[in-house]
Parts: sequence; structure tokens; C-alpha cells
Amino acid sequence: MRRIHLTSAAALSALVVGTSATAATQGTLGATSTGTVSISASVPNRVRISGLSDVAFTNVDPSVNASNAQNVCVWSNTSTKGYRVTASGSGAANAFTLANAALTVPYTVEWAATTGQTSGTALATGTPFTGLTSLATNSNCASGPSSSASLIVRIAATDLQTMNAATSYTGTLTLLVAPE
Amino acid sequence: MILGAALLAFGAAPAKAQNRVRITKLSDVAFGSLSNLSVDAIQAQSICLFSQTATKGYNVRATGSAPGSALALVSGANLLAYEVQWNQLSGQSSGTQLTSGVTLTGQTSLATQQTCNSGPATSASLILILRSTALSNARAGSYTGTLTLVIGPE
Repeated sequence: MRRIHLTSAAALSALVVGTSATAATQGTLGATSTGTVSISASVPNRVRISGLSDVAFTNVDPSVNASNAQNVCVWSNTSTKGYRVTASGSGAANAFTLANAALTVPYTVEWAATTGQTSGTALATGTPFTGLTSLATNSNCASGPSSSASLIVRIAATDLQTMNAATSYTGTLTLLVAPE
Repeated sequence: MILGAALLAFGAAPAKAQNRVRITKLSDVAFGSLSNLSVDAIQAQSICLFSQTATKGYNVRATGSAPGSALALVSGANLLAYEVQWNQLSGQSSGTQLTSGVTLTGQTSLATQQTCNSGPATSASLILILRSTALSNARAGSYTGTLTLVIGPE
């Protein structure tokens, strides 16, 4: 069995400083008395990635490219709902590789900013994929669209053919999402 | 003579103090920049609520400045709902949740002076809460609003 474990991370950007409002007003003595309070708060840029599932390529045919696509939820609260994603693997120098001791096999990662895709833009480890936009309206897609992006993981047939049979290769893919 | 005595009694009827209330010591609430949107943001303040009635009773009604008098902060077209709680004791961090435009009755004040300049320094608690459920789905931005509290005697 060959398995890729996925983990996620989120990032934040510059905070938005709140603005002051008018001062509270105090009530006077009377048949009724009215007071007011000004309230202010600022919400910084935030993103969230959720809905990730582990990927298991099990007993795959080494003569055929192996591919696994999953729908995930990426939410961004910026005015443009923009974000960027950076992927890194657990191999040497954060390479996208699975390993069993000294044995390794590479895999590739693709990202699409819409859900339900089986192909996307190939990601390079450590290199942000920028200019993405989310359609999610809830931070974990509990309402609105149930997912908002696609993650595709592939192992080429030529690489499958280098793997030892009945040997489990594992690795971890980390996805860092940041607001734009 | 009898008629004259009766007229005199009407003219000398003792004046009654009218039922009066007053709310003071309100402070603006600045939640600042909320770095952790996964937890509730809570701001409580002790205020002075004075009631001149025999029972020192009063009621309170809250309204917000968002459309429909909703208890929500506004940033452009975006809304951020907040919760208002009231406690008839000072120094409290929780109380009875208020609904916009709905009067909470049956409150009693311990204040002995209309601005709490003597006696208890404060007599009630106003608690404002930004729930994490709202924060975690809020659009980025600076939100503002005004909460109006109307007090009536009971």
C-alpha cells in the first residue's frame, strides 16, 4: 500500500486596525432614559483549508498512471476572497516523494480553484500558487458550496514501475494557504 | 365649613415624585483587532442604572444601528452580529440575552443616587459578545455600530 498523508496549515496577513467611533452618551433622569454605546471591531484577513482526506494508492497497476482527486474547502475572508497555496512534501528538501526507508518514489501535486476537477495547475514544492479565488461562503463550507477547490495527486506509471512490490511508501503533503 | 375643609384638603395634597430612571457611566466598546476568530470576544462593563420607583424596578430595551435595528456591526455591505446581555448586578460577565426591540422587564437597581456618585458606584452590567461562529465567517474589515439602550421605570 502506498499512502500520502495530507496536513494543512493556514496563514494570516496584515491586521486591519479598527477605527474609533463617537463617544458613548449618558442618559438623563426622566420617565425614560436613553444611553448609547459605540462599538468597534476589526477582523483581519483570514483563510482556512479544510475537508482534506488522506490519499491511499493501494495495489495500483504500475502500467497506468495513478491519480487521486479530492474536493477541499478553502475559504478566504478578504474582499476579493483571494488566496494562494504553497505545497511542500516530506521528502528531502521538501520534495514530493513517498518513502520506505531509503526507497523513494516521486509524486506530483496539482491544484484547481474550483471543485470537482480532475486536473489542475502543477505545484512546485515551496512555490506559492497565487491569484486564486474561493467561492466558499462559510469557513469550513458548512453552508453554501460544500467545497471550493480541487487537489489532485498523481504518481506516474514510470515511477510506479520503480517501486518494490508489497512495500508501503508513505509521505506527508503540507498545504499552506494564505490570504490575498 | 365642611365644603371648605374638603377644598383645603385637595389643595394641600402632597406632591408625588414621578417615576424616573437614569442610565449613566456607559463606555464605548472597542474590541480592537480580533486576531483569534475561533473564540468569542467579550466586553463587559459596569454601569449605573438608577430607578426612583418604590421597588427600584426598571426595564431595558436595546436596539442596534444595523438595518432593521439589528444588533450588528457594519463594514460596508458586510454585517457582523453581536450579542447583548444584561445583568442587574454590577461586575458580571454574563447576563440575560437581549433581543433588539424587545423589552427585558423585572429588573431592580441597587443604586441610591441617580449617577451613582454615592452609594454603589455601579449597579448593572452590560455585556457585548462577538461569537466565534460569527467571527470565523466574517469578512475582513473595520466594523462599527451603535447600541442604544432605553430604560423605563417599573
